[in-house]
Amino acid sequence: MRGLIGAVIWKEVREIRRDPVTIWVAAVLPLIMLYLFGVALSLDVKDAAFAVYDEDGSAESRALAEAFPNSGYFRRTHDIRAQREIGERLDRGQARLVLVIPEDFSAKLARGETAAVQTLVDGSFSATAMVIAGYAAAIVQDYNLAQLRRGGAPPVPVTLESRAWFNAPLKSVNYIVPGLFGVILMAFPPLLTALAVVREKEAGSVQQIFVSPIRPWQFIAGKMVPYAAIAFLEMLMILVAGLWGFGIPFRGSLALFLLATTIYVFCTVGLGLLISTVTRSQLVAMLFALILTLMPSFLFSGFLFPIFTMPEMMQWYTYLFPARYFIDISRGIVMKDVGIEILWPQFAALLAYTAAVFAAATRLFRKKVAA
Amino acid sequence: MAGEVVGTALIMNTPAADQVIVAEGLGRRYGRHTAVTGLDLKVRRGEVFGLLGSDGAGKTTTLQILAGILNPSAGRATVLGYDCVREAASLTARLGYMSQSFSLYGRLSVDENLEFFADLHRVPEPQRQARKTRLLEFARLAPHRDRPARFLSGGMQKKLALCCALIHEPELLVLDEPTTGVDPVSRREFWNILYQALTQGTTIVVSTPYMDEAERCTRVALLHEGRLIACDAPSRLRAQMPGRMLELRARPQRRALAVLEEALPRSRPYVFGDTLHLHQEESPAPAAPLPDLLAARGIAVEQIRPVAPSLEDVFVTRLAGTAPPAAPPATAEAPPVRERTGLAVEVEDLTVRFGDFTAVDRVGFSVRRGEIFGFLGPNGSGKTTTIRILCGLLAPSAGRARVAGYDVRHEPLAVKARIGYMSQRFSLYDDLTVGENLEFFAGAYGVPRARLAARRNWALALAGLEGEEGRPTRGLSGGFKQRLALACAVLHEPEVIFLDEPTAGVDPLSRRRFWELIYRLSDQGVTVFVTTHYMDEAEHCHTLGLLYNGRLIALGTPEELRAGMRAGEMLELECDQPIAALALFQDAPGIRASFFGDRLHLLVDDAEAARAQILARLQRAGHRVHHVERVPLGIEDVFIAFIEMEQARRAAEAA
Repeated sequence: MRGLIGAVIWKEVREIRRDPVTIWVAAVLPLIMLYLFGVALSLDVKDAAFAVYDEDGSAESRALAEAFPNSGYFRRTHDIRAQREIGERLDRGQARLVLVIPEDFSAKLARGETAAVQTLVDGSFSATAMVIAGYAAAIVQDYNLAQLRRGGAPPVPVTLESRAWFNAPLKSVNYIVPGLFGVILMAFPPLLTALAVVREKEAGSVQQIFVSPIRPWQFIAGKMVPYAAIAFLEMLMILVAGLWGFGIPFRGSLALFLLATTIYVFCTVGLGLLISTVTRSQLVAMLFALILTLMPSFLFSGFLFPIFTMPEMMQWYTYLFPARYFIDISRGIVMKDVGIEILWPQFAALLAYTAAVFAAATRLFRKKVAA
Repeated sequence: MAGEVVGTALIMNTPAADQVIVAEGLGRRYGRHTAVTGLDLKVRRGEVFGLLGSDGAGKTTTLQILAGILNPSAGRATVLGYDCVREAASLTARLGYMSQSFSLYGRLSVDENLEFFADLHRVPEPQRQARKTRLLEFARLAPHRDRPARFLSGGMQKKLALCCALIHEPELLVLDEPTTGVDPVSRREFWNILYQALTQGTTIVVSTPYMDEAERCTRVALLHEGRLIACDAPSRLRAQMPGRMLELRARPQRRALAVLEEALPRSRPYVFGDTLHLHQEESPAPAAPLPDLLAARGIAVEQIRPVAPSLEDVFVTRLAGTAPPAAPPATAEAPPVRERTGLAVEVEDLTVRFGDFTAVDRVGFSVRRGEIFGFLGPNGSGKTTTIRILCGLLAPSAGRARVAGYDVRHEPLAVKARIGYMSQRFSLYDDLTVGENLEFFAGAYGVPRARLAARRNWALALAGLEGEEGRPTRGLSGGFKQRLALACAVLHEPEVIFLDEPTAGVDPLSRRRFWELIYRLSDQGVTVFVTTHYMDEAEHCHTLGLLYNGRLIALGTPEELRAGMRAGEMLELECDQPIAALALFQDAPGIRASFFGDRLHLLVDDAEAARAQILARLQRAGHRVHHVERVPLGIEDVFIAFIEMEQARRAAEAA
């Protein structure tokens, strides 16, 4: 004889195994999402269209202009001949960056004066614009150093050399994917569990559960365990796919990461179950799941939009959503190799959150057909 | 093995006396709606207690409160000695409950479902296998152990759900309309399982819309609009009924009915097979004036005799004040009587296939103009599919069908212009008023402007809603909604009207009044094609067709079917301890025993031959027998015989 929790687990496992929809949502959709977001959601700049308005036309100016495509980030598409053409190219999106080299550029360099060049960036996408501007500045600085060395002048005593830690090549995929782990686990497992109880309510079979010795916490736990196991396998799957498929380095402790995952999956399936216990129809449950789990985990978890740039009120608001804790942990372990001594507040928050969700679901699952 | 002995710790929480259920002043409100109010109930150990009433009468609410899964908003109830609110957890652990909805797990097999419920109720392993085997054998589900529950027929699902509710051998079984929409054979097997539980000491509380099931209960309670109208043993209720029921055989029957309705409206005459039944209030009054009354109108009375009132008669009398008034007599507004000769519906070799599933299999019948044709059969037998074809909504795969003289395949538009259709759900717009609904349907069916006012008034009279045009439809009772829906369906004066389970979920009196409307339409020459689950309604039809698994397995008048099928003979037995006696006959060869109120009904091949054998058996067991008597077979017994013959034929075919 199985225990009461065991009975529910046994039943759920059989039902899940025979339900093709569950298997799709659990196995196929996460991979699709991982692929789409990992590939498409890149903030990296590569081969950005680049135009030059070279009024000087000297060897020096040409060398500066050449340095841009040589960097690998820019593709020279146009040579601009007239001032008014600059605006046109930017307006039409034919150039993301226009480099303007004034006619006295080489003359000033020859006199040892500072020569100003102008870069005009298409600022419609502010995030990419900043990256482009950053690259442009770096290329110009490289050019300066080369000039100094060539001129036999003494090396500049102090030069600023900034290096991006944890993500040296500044590849956005390196931080998108560890964030995606949190988002994907908040997207699909709650969707499955949000339907898990309400489906029984709609069918009517839940009334048989009411009329049995099982206690609410046992029923919720029995529902939770198999879905948490599915979610855990889902994580292993996207972890392997993410690390191999996108070639992302995993710097930290795998064991710590899996521990966090274990807590997190109970949290996400618990949220779905909580939604399921308070709703009456599958449709409403799905809408709730989208609004309460998927949307905030995109917007308020720091997955795409850094939390520290949000207004203070919104920063507080983000604490309501567990994805933010897990994404902190995930990025911390995967990218920075930080340990529990740094991440313990996030672990504690996640643990408390999970316990609260379970308690709420148990409390709200009443063995009654109506209030 | 240590700890081998697993005691079934049967805590005998016996309350005062032998009351399993004691409810006092029970009430339940949902917002402003009152579902149940002031309900007092007592159920004794070992009873089969029936809860009767139409949809919305409060049956489900009452059962949910008694099962401890709904808190009452007033009053209190003690069930199995536990308070339904404070000790709900102890209570729910001890009873068996079957909700009206699908209570199984569709993706789990028959065996797995049982296994899960055994786990939930902590049935120890040694008992479990034996019980499972016994229940599955008894429910005839043993060959389907590995089939997923969702692929079982409706009847099998209900039987399985019952087995699941019985796996922990509860002291009390609470069943909410367990047999609605189930075929008669499964229904009988279902009741056999119940009897089995009953003889083992289980108390049963069951709600049902079927009066014939109510007859099987030791006591019944009739609920109407949340109130308890009556509660007693069926025989006592019958005895308490004021006046008496008369059975009248008169020619022509239809004229006789019209005369009686006009002259004695309070007698509520209705058609029962080829006779009329009516209620005579002053009990010892002689039946003499009745033949005179009819003879004066040129009606030949062949026979008048008193008959035992059915439970439905009893309830109709009790409900008399609450239902819509009898439809007014036909007036000048009524449409002219149509031509009554010729065929309204002709069906030949009709077949419908969906993929490799044959929903309708070579069905053939015809319906005369003005005839009431009853189309019977369990859920999924092909009734609705056939109606869809006849309405021109679905093309047959083979065969042909003509409705009102037009071929449904080639002239569906001509067919649609001449038919009316009313579905089970009374397709009215709840947010529109009565008048607006009529106007909408008149427009939708293309009632000519010149006829509109006359048709509207006629329809309002038919529905009994004159002067109520402004009322929102939402607020109407089930009986009124049903009549309004019928009125909407016949606004455009169709030649044939299809009624798909028009009386599902409506109280007995409204049902009977609805049938009066159907007769009126039939009198005016409208052909009525009606499907129903209620076997007793079969008696109201001129011709019956019984559909089973897509095949028409019986066709004829109720009398012809009775005469043509050797379905056996029925003995009614009254004795001291009917439940113990029932156990005696449960596995007797050649005898089908069922519980019938405080009596037993024994279906045998030959009543005279079996009588002695039955009496001997009872005497050996020490029963005191009050009387044994042959009683007429119900139409359902006849149908079961037809279905069993069909099943045998199929089995032979398969072999």
